[in-house]
Amino acid sequence: MWEKLRDDFYQNFIVDDRWKYITEGLQNTLKITFFAVLIGILLGFLVAIIRSTYENTGRLKILNAICSVYLTVIRGTPVVVQLMIMYFIIFSFHDPGQIFTAILAFGINSGAYVAEIFRSGISSIERGQFEAGRSLGFNYAQTMWFIIMPQAFKNVVPTLANEFIVLLKETSVAGYIGLQDLTKGGDIIKSRTYSAFFPLISVALIYLVMVMVFSYLVTLLERRLKKSEH
Amino acid sequence: MSINEMGNPLIQVQNLGKKFGDLEVLKDISVDIYKGDVVCVIGPSGSGKSTFLRCLNRLEEPTSGHILFEGTDIVDKNTNIDKHRQKMGMVFQQFNLFPHMTILKNLTLAPMKLQGKSSKEAEEQALKLLDKVGLKDRANSYPNQLSGGQKQRIAIVRALCMNPDVMLFDEPTSALDPEMVGEVLNVMRELAEEKMTMVVVTHEMGFAKEVATRVMFMDGGYFLEENEPVEFFEHPKNDRLKSFLSKVL
Repeated sequence: MWEKLRDDFYQNFIVDDRWKYITEGLQNTLKITFFAVLIGILLGFLVAIIRSTYENTGRLKILNAICSVYLTVIRGTPVVVQLMIMYFIIFSFHDPGQIFTAILAFGINSGAYVAEIFRSGISSIERGQFEAGRSLGFNYAQTMWFIIMPQAFKNVVPTLANEFIVLLKETSVAGYIGLQDLTKGGDIIKSRTYSAFFPLISVALIYLVMVMVFSYLVTLLERRLKKSEH
Repeated sequence: MSINEMGNPLIQVQNLGKKFGDLEVLKDISVDIYKGDVVCVIGPSGSGKSTFLRCLNRLEEPTSGHILFEGTDIVDKNTNIDKHRQKMGMVFQQFNLFPHMTILKNLTLAPMKLQGKSSKEAEEQALKLLDKVGLKDRANSYPNQLSGGQKQRIAIVRALCMNPDVMLFDEPTSALDPEMVGEVLNVMRELAEEKMTMVVVTHEMGFAKEVATRVMFMDGGYFLEENEPVEFFEHPKNDRLKSFLSKVL
């Protein structure tokens, strides 16, 4: 039994430097997640501002309509389908690279969810805060920036963190466009060695550890944000 | 401004009307408010007094009429309302302090961002005013650490830090525990003694009687009676005012 495990481990990770599938895959997974998160925040922030401004003031009607369509389409279709459409249809004539495509697809996808998170955060702030800002002479944008957004952000940190955890795990479908991410790396090893245990369990463990570390960091951040209120 | 020296009103409300859908809350209101006036607006709830006050700095958009503030029609869409709001301090029933900032930051934010004051300048002024309302030691606290009365005194100071020409009070003591009403009214009384122009929507008849230069009774979207306080409370003429006073006094 012990012998078999040791041999299995050797076959899956050591022979032909197969461990590199895991480490290189991990690098790609992290790269995609990191930049997709950035795009998601930026896009989500913009969309949330547009939607909230429309809700509060009735301005930006056309932009709001565009955002509505974006949210409906993105949230109404599976991310893996969006990824494939991006790679095989939108970029079918010009391949900007699989990583780039994945970052864009996951970023655009995440932006839709982040937008709704931000928007609910903004609308959770009492109207009185907005009025207090305006009554001092701040214009709409200044009131949003100095008074509403900081409070809204604090309220949505847990939900936002959850979205990024989901995003990290969702990138595991990147293999559909032939990209070697962490999951695909494990999958390749499995197809070479015909043994599933080590590659799949190690992939799972790596995701788990990343999520746990990230959750811990978020707890620290939440605690710091809370401190400023008491 | 020379307008005020000439004895022109600081705020001139002309035929102000406000509708929420089909509901007509303010009907053809005209009133002049002069520098140094302390105007108390009283009336039953739902009479439109808060709406009237909130129209004065356009937190509610009037549906008709004009409001001239220091000679400028602020109902005009081309008027930069933000500029004029800097000169009109407002105090809310629910205080509306910014919970994510310390008291000092609450007080210095607007003077620094809008009037271009340095942080030193803004803080000096804030601390001086805080001292006046007896809360200098709370400068570095957060709003949640304060009592309602303290919060409201801070809210008054926050408005004062912009050096406004008029202060609008929207039922400033209605959300307070009874034992804290006095401390807030005292601050307002001192302001009145310093000749600050004030418009106060309130249920505090004692305050109105004692501090106001003019008291106005609003019901059903109209001002039904206006007078100096002694005459107003002792010899009311309007029947609805009489019945209102008999219930609240």
